[in-house]
Amino acid sequence: MIRARWWGPLVGVGLALAITSLALALGGYDVSAALAALWRGAFGSEQAIASFTLKRSVPLLLTGLAVALAFRAGIWNIGAEGQLYAGAVAGFAVGFAGGGLPAPLLLPLVLLASLMAGAVWAALPALLRSRNGTNEVITTLLLNFVALHLTGWLVQGALQEPRGVFNESAPLPTAAHLPTLWPGTDLHIGFALAIGAAGALWAIFRFTRAGFLIRAIGEGPEAARITGGVRSNRLATAVFLASGALAGLAGAVQVTGVDRKLYDALSPGWGYTAIAVALLARLNPLAVIATAIFFGALQAGAAGMQRSAGVPFAWVTVVEAIAVLGVLIAARERTPR
Amino acid sequence: MKEDAAAAGTATPRDVAVRISELRRAFGPVVALDGARLEARAGEVHALVGENGAGKTTLLSILAGHLRPDAGRIEVDGRPVAEGRAWSAREAWSLGIGMVHQHFALVPRLTGRENLMLGVRRVRGGWGLPTRRLGERLGRLELETGLRVDLDTPVEALTIGERQRLEILKVLLRDPRTLVLDEPTSVLAPPEVEGLLALLRRLAAEGRAVLLVAHKLDEVLEVADRITVLRAGRTVLEAARGEVTARSVAEAMVGDAGALDAPARAEVRVGEVRARWSARADGTDLELRAGEIVGVAGVEGNGQRALARTLAGRATAAEGRVELPERVAYIPQDRGREGLIGSFDLTENVALGRHGDPGVRTGPFGLALRWRLLREETGALIEGYGVRAPGPGARAASLSGGNQQRLVVARELHGRPRLVVAENPTRGLDVAGARFVHDALRELRSRDDAPATLLVSTDLDEVLSLADRIFTLVRGRLVEVPAAERTREGVGARMLEALP
Amino acid sequence: MIEALAWVAFFEAGVRLGIPLALAALGEMVSERAGVLNIGLEGSIIAGALGGALGALATGSAGAGVVIGGGAGLLVGLVFAIPVVWLNTDQIITGTAVTLLGLGGTAAIHAARFGATGTQLSLPTLDPIAIPLLARLPLVGPALFDLPPTAYLTFALAPALAWFLFRTEWGLELRAVGEDPEAAHAAGLPVRPLRFGAALFGTLLAGLAGAHLSLAWAGTFAENMSAGRGFIAIAVVVLGRWSPWGVLGSGLFFGAASALQFLLQTLGSDIGYQLFLALPYILTLAALGGWLGRARAPAALAQPWPRTH
Repeated sequence: MIRARWWGPLVGVGLALAITSLALALGGYDVSAALAALWRGAFGSEQAIASFTLKRSVPLLLTGLAVALAFRAGIWNIGAEGQLYAGAVAGFAVGFAGGGLPAPLLLPLVLLASLMAGAVWAALPALLRSRNGTNEVITTLLLNFVALHLTGWLVQGALQEPRGVFNESAPLPTAAHLPTLWPGTDLHIGFALAIGAAGALWAIFRFTRAGFLIRAIGEGPEAARITGGVRSNRLATAVFLASGALAGLAGAVQVTGVDRKLYDALSPGWGYTAIAVALLARLNPLAVIATAIFFGALQAGAAGMQRSAGVPFAWVTVVEAIAVLGVLIAARERTPR
Repeated sequence: MKEDAAAAGTATPRDVAVRISELRRAFGPVVALDGARLEARAGEVHALVGENGAGKTTLLSILAGHLRPDAGRIEVDGRPVAEGRAWSAREAWSLGIGMVHQHFALVPRLTGRENLMLGVRRVRGGWGLPTRRLGERLGRLELETGLRVDLDTPVEALTIGERQRLEILKVLLRDPRTLVLDEPTSVLAPPEVEGLLALLRRLAAEGRAVLLVAHKLDEVLEVADRITVLRAGRTVLEAARGEVTARSVAEAMVGDAGALDAPARAEVRVGEVRARWSARADGTDLELRAGEIVGVAGVEGNGQRALARTLAGRATAAEGRVELPERVAYIPQDRGREGLIGSFDLTENVALGRHGDPGVRTGPFGLALRWRLLREETGALIEGYGVRAPGPGARAASLSGGNQQRLVVARELHGRPRLVVAENPTRGLDVAGARFVHDALRELRSRDDAPATLLVSTDLDEVLSLADRIFTLVRGRLVEVPAAERTREGVGARMLEALP
Repeated sequence: MIEALAWVAFFEAGVRLGIPLALAALGEMVSERAGVLNIGLEGSIIAGALGGALGALATGSAGAGVVIGGGAGLLVGLVFAIPVVWLNTDQIITGTAVTLLGLGGTAAIHAARFGATGTQLSLPTLDPIAIPLLARLPLVGPALFDLPPTAYLTFALAPALAWFLFRTEWGLELRAVGEDPEAAHAAGLPVRPLRFGAALFGTLLAGLAGAHLSLAWAGTFAENMSAGRGFIAIAVVVLGRWSPWGVLGSGLFFGAASALQFLLQTLGSDIGYQLFLALPYILTLAALGGWLGRARAPAALAQPWPRTH
């Protein structure tokens, strides 16, 4: 239903850029200068590409994959945001406590903890869905807020920095810092990890029986159960947990690769933007790489656009929203009658 | 068209409440209505009969404004309506056509009273009936009709019979000039049926046109003033009650009897496969043998679905014991939802039924599927079973209904199953598609490793023409029909007997 | 004495924080009763906040600002309701996009109008109206009877909507469309127009709630000042079990939970107030999970109509 025809995303993005350019022109901005600044900010230099565009795309890529995986199975997990917080907190806690361990040992533990925490955060909605048929949209949404407030509680309490002034934790020990991927820039190996995850997910969908059955329960749940003999409840629960784990990983990667501290507002809503990222990629994991980088570039470029052309940063969000609406309308099914 | 007017005989146009002519409607390649006509007159009970798939439900859906006709004419009280466009359920109501659906159009969580009030305002204009007047009208209607329902309970807590009474009350409250009922007696107990038929006669006597769709011929003949028979989407008989007999109506419904002759029986071997099932503790055991087709006949809603799914290993029996062979093929009734995934290509749809087979698995722990092999196999199936498709990469949804069913049959029968369960396998198919399915099922008997076959069907002729042994399924109970009684009348009588 | 004052302040803050939630949630309840789950409510709220602010600035009247704010919420609501009701797009994703659109659009307009640095706006405010005598009641008087008009509107809406939904035919039709659009259609109801109307009504109230935020609560506009209230309102509807009084009550309960931080600070408690912020969500989850009795959503919630085959 939400897998648009291939040209859907192009139409959506084109429409979004056209509408926003028009709006900018009407607002009295110099559109060509703004677009040039957007491009420079995103791709104008090695720093722009690595430290801004690609670095910003990492959490979008991982949460985008989480959403794509769940949506493929017909699971409306809009709780990537909360699962990301859960992963960030668990990853930070392990990294902080295990500061004495060598990095090659500690980092896998940190990432593993975040995977598990993300899955745990998805477990209640998954369970309620399979046991009672409770709609996962509302439950995952609710848990986003629980995660947000609990994180806030932790950074003002148990995990607060020693002086107790700021709403943030003490810094992570260096053993828990993700190594740099592109020397001389801020791009950390979390980017490679996310690309690897996208490739793995693509291969699972493309080649494996499990991936095939996941698509089957998403596209035709009745046929999967009756003809395919799939225990769809069980499989859907597993996919739900895996989706939560991926989103949790995004949290730990952000904390260990970029922030190196725990903040109470560590995500600007990546878990929600992830829905747009996944949708624009038509839920294809490889295409999620492209759309996540596209969104990363938009955000990186928007910062530049604001600096040099005076165009408010928030326009990027408008572009994202119109692109998604364009895809939705292009993808809609004709109704019978 | 001109002959129609002649056939209508003495009726003056004013008497005709609803006239339908040359109505056509196709669903993709499946033609449901192909020039159907019908005339319901005020003051009469008019029966519309036909086999399953003859197009009755489609005709009613068009009349009620739910479906758009492809072509044809509908006149209400002599005025043409809905020419060249869809008309809405609301328009149908406001023209005085009231429809009692087979699947009740009641909102489960609203109370009976709320359901009765629903939409009255839309039909009658203004702010509808004040509650007090609604109460008065209801009281009068209940007295006149004997239809009594608890109105303050949510509909979801009512029994099926109560829901139907509510549905009829709901329609009568709107005071329709034409009352249409789709299979109303199928859910009623016998004394209620008597009451309903009497009610229909009274309603007609008040000057309404009553259009009754039914499959029980005896009821139809008891109550109807006129009869229209549909076969394969066409009107094949229009007559007054006095001009027909049960036999002539049945013949009109079935059509060319020669085409339905049972084939010569293949040799039947006994043993190998055993599948047992009992619907209840006192249910009859069913034993299926290799090389034999067992037919289960019955009116829909008597447990066919549960029986087919249980024997196909897709559901577990609540009680009793089922022994199934390893390879069971299942041809589900609703191929679009249960047999295929429309957005998947043909190879993927073949994989859906084959993914557990070690032969198509590869890689560590058999985690991966051998897609190239599956694609080749799909190509071979397309060719071997004459599926008309551009290739294995075509989307299932792009195929016609008949070709979709060919693909399902090919996939299921190709894997050398030991047991084949087919549930209404020809529903909604055209003649060629149905013949293909029948031939494929018959062919099974001549295989070296012939499987046991269970054919569950509401199409009695299909069962009669294919099955070696026949059971009736009534309210979840299986009763075998003796060999000597394997005729329409014989099986029908068995089904009636089984009713309490 | 300090404690008593703290309690008064707590009630006041609870009601003040609860009003916009309850107002938006009452609208969302009507929308959901008709089967439309509007996750884009946040977009309508923030648009209402900005629309209210700009309207009040332009007209110099806070009252006119509120009306304009409601209109702004409705405008964003059209962007949600047209695709969802008439084009059958997915309600969840459309709503997410509309939230992004509202947040981004208002921030961009605000920055364009008042500069990226965002100088503090000073707006005509919607003044509280004290109800004689009642406002002087101890403890609850200031909290319940010395409020801006939008708050009284919210209180009045609960009984009005209860009457509308359960005593009028319009309400009956609306509920039928949310429970079983097929049956409603068969009974002759115009399913899509009813859903459209209900969804738009919801966004109108969301816009009013947004205007309340900027004109009666903050006296200014700031980017993202809706702060997730659109999502919270959806939780409020669930906890209120889709009933007007329940939604009003749970809106005030959510407000009280947010207000606890002030009380806890004054009383010197060191329990993290964030735990209390999380509490209403956990209770809502419990309600959904069936541990607080059954909370049944309208059966056709978030389902498109007519259904595709």
